[in-house]
Amino acid sequence: MDWGGWAVFGLVATTVLTAVLILVQLAGRTRLDLPLLLGSALVADPDQARVVGFAVHLGFGQLFAAFYAAGFATLDRAGWWLGALFGFIHAIVALTVLVPLLPGVHPRMASDRAGPDSIAVLQPPGPLALNYGWATPLVTIAAHLVYGAVLGLALHPS
Amino acid sequence: MTGLRRVPIGDYGLIGDTRTAALVAPDGAIDWWCLPRFDSPPVFGRVVGGDDAGSFETGPAEPARLERRRYRDGTATLETTWAVDGGQLTLADSMIAEVAGRLLPATTLVRRLASRGRPVEVAVRLSPRLGEGRARPARIRQHKGALVVEHQGLAMAVLTDGPERLDVDERVVFTVDPSRPLTIVVGVSDRTPLVFVPPALARAEAERDERGWRRWAEGIVTAPEHRATVVRSLLTLQLLTYSPSGAPVAAPTTSLPELLGGSRNWDYRYAWPRDASIGIAAFLTAGKDREARAFLAWLLHASRLARPRLPALLTLHGRPGPAERELHDWPGYAESRPVRTGNGAADQHQLDGYGWVLDAAWLLTRAGHRLDGETWRAMRAFADHVAATWHLPDAGIWERRDKPRHHVHSKLMAWLALDRAVRIALERGGRAARRAPGWEAARDRVAADVRANGFDPRLGAYTAAYGTSELDAAVLFLPILGIEPAGSARVAGTVDAIRERLGAGGPLIYRYLEDDGLPGREGAFLPCSFWLVQALSGIGRRAEAREMFDELVALGGPLGLFAEEMDPRSGEQLGNFPQALTHASLLQAAAALDTVAPRSSEVSGRELPPPIIEGRRAARTDER
Repeated sequence: MDWGGWAVFGLVATTVLTAVLILVQLAGRTRLDLPLLLGSALVADPDQARVVGFAVHLGFGQLFAAFYAAGFATLDRAGWWLGALFGFIHAIVALTVLVPLLPGVHPRMASDRAGPDSIAVLQPPGPLALNYGWATPLVTIAAHLVYGAVLGLALHPS
Repeated sequence: MTGLRRVPIGDYGLIGDTRTAALVAPDGAIDWWCLPRFDSPPVFGRVVGGDDAGSFETGPAEPARLERRRYRDGTATLETTWAVDGGQLTLADSMIAEVAGRLLPATTLVRRLASRGRPVEVAVRLSPRLGEGRARPARIRQHKGALVVEHQGLAMAVLTDGPERLDVDERVVFTVDPSRPLTIVVGVSDRTPLVFVPPALARAEAERDERGWRRWAEGIVTAPEHRATVVRSLLTLQLLTYSPSGAPVAAPTTSLPELLGGSRNWDYRYAWPRDASIGIAAFLTAGKDREARAFLAWLLHASRLARPRLPALLTLHGRPGPAERELHDWPGYAESRPVRTGNGAADQHQLDGYGWVLDAAWLLTRAGHRLDGETWRAMRAFADHVAATWHLPDAGIWERRDKPRHHVHSKLMAWLALDRAVRIALERGGRAARRAPGWEAARDRVAADVRANGFDPRLGAYTAAYGTSELDAAVLFLPILGIEPAGSARVAGTVDAIRERLGAGGPLIYRYLEDDGLPGREGAFLPCSFWLVQALSGIGRRAEAREMFDELVALGGPLGLFAEEMDPRSGEQLGNFPQALTHASLLQAAAALDTVAPRSSEVSGRELPPPIIEGRRAARTDER
């Protein structure tokens, strides 16, 4: 496994993924704000949460990059298209499995069962995170395709 | 198909769980219930869809007389009591609002029946229908004593602790013995496994929920003489708040008519930023800071994609409002057609919204809540947008569908937006304060413009729009904005002119009388009456205001619920029901009457008048 490439390009790919999401968010296509979502689990102030969340996101990105590197090593091949394919699968899993779990673990995120006692202030993402705007699933897939493609280009298969 | 049944709109009672809500008629029938959310299609839609749209009847099977309807004090439990020969039957309806952390359905309806004096026969008929096609459930089965009704991803499990078995569309008669109450439970699941709630557990959960509501109500701060009214209105606002997102739902219904038999029928099952802002003020004045902040959080989240533009309305999760459609074969309430879903006002430019939002942000600031960086950036963007666009014509607060024009109320609210932005900026200090002079200059330009073009010297009053002598009751906010001294002849003249020319008899007033392009005349507009109370109080005529307030409250009937409008001749409530704006306006009026300190009557530089809502700051005892 390409540990050196993983250490460097995991960070690069995650930063690029975050940048894509933020650019699309600034363009008004989605309200998905991953640094805020992750960071607000730890701190309440949105501005501080984004900083903390970005660091957490880098950590998660690095973790997932290890899976990508392991995948390339197992298949003994790498390339932007294979990385993008991994990215696509990653995005689908994130949208259908990981994101729906968030209301269960995030202390400041409401669930669809929230009642008047709820002190959560973040909206639940809903199916495919569509509560954050109709373009959210598309944006998520696009960002992960880029993430995977960067890793596929940069990492050696072994 | 029949559309013959007609229960007066104001006779319905509201029950809910802050995710959805139902209307219960005096005969115990649920004639409106959208599932799984406020804005979903109705499962029981008889109120506008006729018998084919479904209902859930539960009431005496023998001759009976309605004896009393009330809410249990400080709760959301609706109690209907009938007198029968030699006895009495009481139906207590509620939904379980707080289900977090427990294995309960997201929505559970509990209908508790109890008799006194002798056993009483009760007839129950459950007729669920779904969607615009009013389809009978696709699958109906009995499962371990429960009736299970399924339609695509939506399922209901109906359980009772009576010996008889319920079935869809079948009239089933139970005997309720004084020693053995009957409980009917409807658990709802949406794309999740059904949870079967035993009636005994449902009853216990309903009682637990009542205790929660009572604790919440005990934390409401208000003057003793208005307490019952204020508590009911705040509870209603809370029931109309969609808890998963914090969105304030304008009303839980669609197409209840503003004119019986007319076409003024709109879908209000969405959230208006304006209502959220008024709600913030209403909750703050009652000491419910947490709820006020939740409204602002929703507003910021929901408006994120359109910023700096503020959409006129949004869905409960902050998406753009759906396109308006007509349900052609729905008979409508009292044959008032069409029945509509979606709302065509979603794309309108309404300048006044920014004023409400920035005033709400200022209120929170003044109440000691620091606006975080993101909130301030949003407010800054709104203020910049108003400074750049205030001179353009707009659709106005009444969402008129004819040509945009220069509404005086919109200009006043643009002034308010800039004024509150200045105040917040100065309060924050530092770099934020450097933005103030620009907004201040724009604010003064708005003031000069509206004073020159919005005031008719012959009437001695501000008009509805530039170039017209028609009046608009929305301008009643004038005394409490600060753009004109509250004691000035212009302000008093405007209040008196509106009262005189738009008066509909008693405390009622129309919002306007000019032709709005729609056939027929709507009823008197209830929020405007409460705004008049506030205006009279603002110009120092407090006795008059108090008398009018008491008369208005009496119009709400025993349940204390208000629609948007009222027929001045019959006293019948009109429009979607109950209406959050009316209740929020009632709370504003009550707060104005409860205000101890006199209002400032001068505007001079930064010696600014109090904001729209004046009320006593409250102790933070708002935990349920």
